[in-house]
Formats: sequence, structure tokens, C-alpha cells
Amino acid sequence: MIQLLALRIRRDRVILPIWIFGIALLLTASAASVSTTFGDEAGRRQILQLALATPALIALRGVPNGVELGSAVYFQVYAFLAVAVGLMNTFLATRHGRAEEERGQRELITAAPVRRMTPILSTIILGVGANLLLGVLSTAGFAAAGLPLGGSLVGAAALVAAGLAFLGVGLLASELTASSRAANSLGATLVLIAYALRGAGDALGTPDLDRLTLSAAWPSWLSPIGWGEQAFAFTADDLRPLTLSLALAVLTGGAALVIAARRDLGASLLPERRRPASAGRLLGSTLGLAWRLQWPSLLGWTVGAAVLGAVSGALANSVGSATFENSAINDVLQSLAHTSRDDVVTAFIAAIMSLVGILAAAAGLQAMLRLRDEETGGRAELLLSGPPRRGGWLLASAGVATASTTVVIVVTGLTAWAAFLAMREPGLGAQSIGQALVELPMAMVFVSIGAVALAVLPRISIAATWALFAIGVVIGLFGDLLQLPDAALEASPIRHVPTVPFPADDLGGAWADIGVLTAIAAALIAVATWAVQRRDLTA
Amino acid sequence: MDAIEVLGLVKVFGRGRSSTRALDGLDLTVRTGEVHGFLGPNGAGKSTTIRVLLGQLRSSGGSASVFGRNPWDDSVAIHRDLAYVPGDVSLWPNLSGGEIIDLLTRLRGGADAALRTRLLGDFQLDPTKKARSYSKGNRQKVALIAAFARRAELYVFDEPTSGLDPVMESVFRAEVERVTRDGATVLLSSHILSEVEQLCERVTIIRAGRTVESGTLASLRHLTRTSFHVGTAAAADDIARLPGVHDLATEAGQLVFDVDTDSMTGVLAALTAAGITSLTVTPPSLEELFLRHYGDPKPDAPAVPVDAR
Repeated sequence: MIQLLALRIRRDRVILPIWIFGIALLLTASAASVSTTFGDEAGRRQILQLALATPALIALRGVPNGVELGSAVYFQVYAFLAVAVGLMNTFLATRHGRAEEERGQRELITAAPVRRMTPILSTIILGVGANLLLGVLSTAGFAAAGLPLGGSLVGAAALVAAGLAFLGVGLLASELTASSRAANSLGATLVLIAYALRGAGDALGTPDLDRLTLSAAWPSWLSPIGWGEQAFAFTADDLRPLTLSLALAVLTGGAALVIAARRDLGASLLPERRRPASAGRLLGSTLGLAWRLQWPSLLGWTVGAAVLGAVSGALANSVGSATFENSAINDVLQSLAHTSRDDVVTAFIAAIMSLVGILAAAAGLQAMLRLRDEETGGRAELLLSGPPRRGGWLLASAGVATASTTVVIVVTGLTAWAAFLAMREPGLGAQSIGQALVELPMAMVFVSIGAVALAVLPRISIAATWALFAIGVVIGLFGDLLQLPDAALEASPIRHVPTVPFPADDLGGAWADIGVLTAIAAALIAVATWAVQRRDLTA
Repeated sequence: MDAIEVLGLVKVFGRGRSSTRALDGLDLTVRTGEVHGFLGPNGAGKSTTIRVLLGQLRSSGGSASVFGRNPWDDSVAIHRDLAYVPGDVSLWPNLSGGEIIDLLTRLRGGADAALRTRLLGDFQLDPTKKARSYSKGNRQKVALIAAFARRAELYVFDEPTSGLDPVMESVFRAEVERVTRDGATVLLSSHILSEVEQLCERVTIIRAGRTVESGTLASLRHLTRTSFHVGTAAAADDIARLPGVHDLATEAGQLVFDVDTDSMTGVLAALTAAGITSLTVTPPSLEELFLRHYGDPKPDAPAVPVDAR
């Protein structure tokens, strides 16, 4: 057990500290930033009033609870951080669960004098330890922003509780699915569903404008992230909702243990189906292969995009129905949605669609970076011993990545449009489609960066690309909040996406932004196609 | 024109102090229409050589040509007439074996349907399973069927039968014989010496990125020694002094020694003159040749006897 735990810690000595310290750092920076930006109570009161009148903001951020500083911080950071903590845990569970089994390492381990349950038990110890460390750092992070220690502890406990719940979910996903890819998708999907459920529940909740809080509707009570919000750190400091998270953790973790104790090595609860004995017509080229490998993932991305589009369309309408005469409130909204437009609905659509652009970029990157797996897995060696050229091989994946990005954007735009149409707002619907489409060049810049990394720095391409993407997203979404210098803000492609409708006084500027982003993406993909032809295959 | 012509091939991985010289002046000639055995210990550079020939690695020096073309610049033209089976076959886990066979053959222009069906039967492969669930042997079968299901001018096999059972090995040998009857050339890297002895006309043995022997099996056998176990009245010292006798020892009253193949007549004459009570002669095998070269501390060093290892 000790050796196995040591092996797991060693295996994670880079990735886990990145997750833990990354999350803690984001928490510390955001908490400090909220405390300085919204230092005075009047300012906070204004923001919370606005937020409570804007279900869309509630859906994105969470449930406010009173005007105290700590409560405002908790409202701003908890839901986002809980998603990150959830992903950290489901990925951890898969990494040491189904992935280990798939690679045959579990077979080696259990062939040694090791009890059948030792691998999963050591994963649980590692996961619990990681969450506790994160809890300690999070407490310190809240406290460092000058918040009271008691509330800091409750806030950190809410993150830990969500983390443990998703650790259990991840362990169970590893037992249910037959591949690490499927386990990771199932885990990540459940985390996002938990976020979406509490988003829906919070947005549909009943606001209490006197006490500046909101009683969430039932969907929030189905989500570990929702339970964490209900702890209301720094005000109510109620630990009771967190017991629900712990119960879920015990339930899912226990189910995983029961299955693990009974099943054969390599078996899974969801069985593998028989496959066709011969290939369909499409599967005869590198493009056909890239498509065949990507479409199941694309299906998942598309469903996510459709939900996001429909929900945001529906929410935007309620944003539009609220009127804000106070221009200070508009300023705040714009800072949250980072656009210079003074129309609240436009700002909201821009904010949502920039999330859609990021989702689309992630879908494209995932399709693009699959190529590196093909290379390290040795499948590229087999494939490229045939006639295909390496340039064409990369271009095929770039093509499928472009298609994935486009599909996510178009589907979201269309569902948002349909939602607006259902509410008899065709103008806003068209605006949503437009805003979604102008995100495409930005998303493609990230995809093309992935292509260049594959071609030029194959060994570190996956880590480097996702890291750059994460930095770009943090700058794009939280750059203002973190008060980064202009030069840093300008570096993120997300900051260069124009807002639709393009301002009449700067039409040229908007089109120039689109043109430049498109040109950068096209040029980088061309460079990658050329460069990959000139390097060795490196496993 | 030779199918493969490699002269003084050098491949260096990495730069500066951390670089490794995987190939260090390797020579390899594969004549059109022959089955050529490519032997060497693990890490000798066999797979690196093959990847240079496939245009997947760029050589750092020397020359390599396949069908008279440069494999790095003309890989597409070469690959149309080439079928390759890697040593460690990894497949797309979500595709079925049948789908993968179709994909790989279609890239080269499409499989011969009757041949594909026959090969599936001969190799006893279930094409409906996801590749994820295939064992090493079954993954190898998928790659082998994909290679054999469409005619190629040159077949390159990197330890193709390491995961196959003896029955499947014989199916493999039959397929190699079939394609060479049709005029194809085969480069076979293998550790299974009986397979190489049965299939190959010529072999090349490499070590530490260099060619140490190359030629027909018959000519290489001349380089090796035959071992003798003799019960004889002859004095051990007298035998040890004969030209071509090496490493003489006495075991259970018998003389045990090795004799250079071209000194055999003299040794036999001396033994006959002294009288023989028992005699076991072990002919030189490829394995011995192999071990002799593999066991050397350096490729250039004088040979050490097999049993001293």
C-alpha cells in the first residue's frame, strides 16, 4: 500500500501540484482582487442588486448572500473554482483507475503480492490527501485576502467537499466505462452537469432584494456545487449542506469499491459492443480516419453547445427585461462581461458567446492534439508507412479540428437564435448567431497554435498548448478582475473578438480584428504543415 | 537495381552532449526478389534503420535508397509499393480489426477482397472486435493481414512473429514464400533464428549501429566453428596444438573443443589416427553466429567462445 501510494505520488509529482497550486493561486488572486475592487459596501450593494435582477449572472456565478465582503468574494469565486476542483478529482481518479488498467500497468501491479483492492484504496488516499492540501491552501488564500478565518475554513471546506464528491464520481466512472477516454468524458460531463444544474436552479430561484440573497430552486439541490454554495461561507457558515457532498462521495466511492471487488481485471459494467468487420466508405484516407476518431467526441461537444445556446438565449431575455437606469450598474456589468458596449443584453450575449468561443476552441484543440497521441501511441508509424504524407496527415486533423470548432459555434448560435425566436426576439437571435460566428477566428488561433506545437515541439506540444490556452482564457475572462497590464490583456486572442453588432464608428476596426485573427490562424497552420514534413517522427 | 541500398548510414538523436549515435556507418544491401534477414541484438539499430528506410526519420549521414529513391524525399512514391509491419503494433483502440485492415490497405489502393477473406481465415482473426481488446498476437495479425492483403513490391517486417504461436508462424512463412514467388522483396528483422534460416537467402548482422557481417547464410557459416565432443586416446595437448582448434577442455573424460570450419580435415585426420571411442559434432548454427557477434564486448574484438559466456 505504501509503495503503491508512493508510486502514485511520484506519477503525479508534476500534474497534481499544478492543479492544487493553480486553483489556490486563482482563488487567492481573485479574492484579493474582489476585496480591492469592491472594497466599499455601497459598491457591493449595487453589484449584488444588479446580479439578483440578472438571472444570467446568477447562473454563471452563484448565489449571493448579503453585502459582506467575504460573501461577495465567495459569490464571485466558488462555482468556478468548484468546477476546477471537480475536474482535478475526476481526472485524478481516471489517471490512476481506468487509464492505469488500460495501459496494462494494473496487470503488472496486481501480479505482484498486492491485494486486489490496494490500487483503488491508494488512489482514494491520494485523492483525499490532495483535496485536504487544497483545503489548507484555500483557507490560507481566503485569509490572505483579509477575510475572517472561520469563514475561510468553511469556504475551503465547501471546495474540499465538492472535490471529494467528484473523486467518488470519478472512481465510479472508471469502474463503469471500458476506456480511459470514456471515463474522463463521463467524469468531466458530470462536473459540467453539476455546474449547469446549480446554474439553472440559482437562476430560477427567488431573489430576496432586502437581504440581498436568493433561495435557489430545486435543481441547485441536485448538485455538489450547489450544496457548496449553500454553505454560504462568511455569513451563514452552514456546514450542513456539505454533508450531502460527503454522502455522495461515500455512496459513489463505495459503489466503485463494490464493483472493483467483484469484477475481472479489464472488465467494465458498461460492455463493449461488437464492431463492423469491414470499414465504411469514409474510412480510407487520413481525413476519413481523423473524422472517424473525432466524431464521437464532437457529438458530446455539440450536445454541450446546444444546451449552452438554449440556456443563454433564455437567460438573455430576462436580462433584457430588467431595466437599469443606473449607469454605474452598467459599468459593473461591462466589467464582468468585458465589453465596452453600454447595452446590457449585448454585453450579456458577448459574454456568453465568448464562453462559447472558448468551448469551441477546446473542442478544436482536442481534435488537433489527438495527433500527438497517434504519434506517441505508434499508430502514426503504421499509418505513415503507407502513402500519406505527414503534411497531409496534419492537415487532415486541422480540417477536422476546424469542423469541430465550427460545429460547436454554429450549433450554439442556432440554438440561442431558436430560444430568442421562441420569445419573439428575432433581432437578438440574429445578433447571437453573429456574435457566435465572430468567435470562430479566435478559436482557430488556439487550434493553429496547437498545430504548430505538434509540428515544432512534439514532445511538449500537449502540455504547452493547453497551458497557453489556459493562460489565454484566464487573461480573456479574468484579466480585468486581476488588473493585468494592457500588454498582457492584448496578448490574448479572446480580447480581440469584436462585439456584434459592430459599432458604426469602428466598422473597420472590427473587421480588421477578424481578418488579423483569421490570417494568423491560417498562417500558423501553413507553417505547421510545412514544419511537420521536415521533422522525425518522435514517439 | 537493388531494392534497398544503404551505405555508411548515420543517425544521431538529440544534440550536443546528450546525443546518441543510434546508427554509426551502417551498410545494408537487399537485392530485388530476395528475403533478407536483418539481425542484431536489442538496441543495435534495426528499427531505427527501418524507420529511416520508411522516411520517418531523417538520416544524419551516409546514404539510403529504396527502389533507387531517397526515402525522406520520395516517401509517398516508395510507400505505394511497400507494406510494413512494425515490431510493436499499436492500433486505434476504437476501431475494429476489420476496419483497420481496410483503412491501411485502402491507403495503398485497396485490398484484394478474396485475399483478405482467405487471410482472415488463415490467421484466425475475429475482425469484429475493437482493437482495444486484441492481444499482442492479434494486433500483429491485423498488421500482417493488412500488409499481405494487397500486393507490394517490398515487404518490411520488424520482428513480425514475436507474439504469434507456432501455427501462425507457419502461416506467416507460407505468406512470405507466396509473395516472394510473385517476385516481391522482403526485409525481415527477426530474433527467431529458425525462421530466418528457413526463409532468408542472405542476412545482415548489425551491432551498435554498424554492420558486422553480411552475406549468404552458407558463406557466413564458414566463419563459424564446429564444436566437437570426442572420446579419444589422443593427448589433449596434441589436439590443442593443431591449427584451428580453440578452447579445448576436458569434460567427463571427453575432449570438448571448437574447430574453425576450414581446419576440420586436419583435426579429423589427427583424431582418427589416435582412435575415437565416441564423437558428437555440432554443426555451426545461425544461433552460434548470432551469439558470437552479440556476445562480443566490441564488434571488432576477437571472437569469444560461445560457452564462455
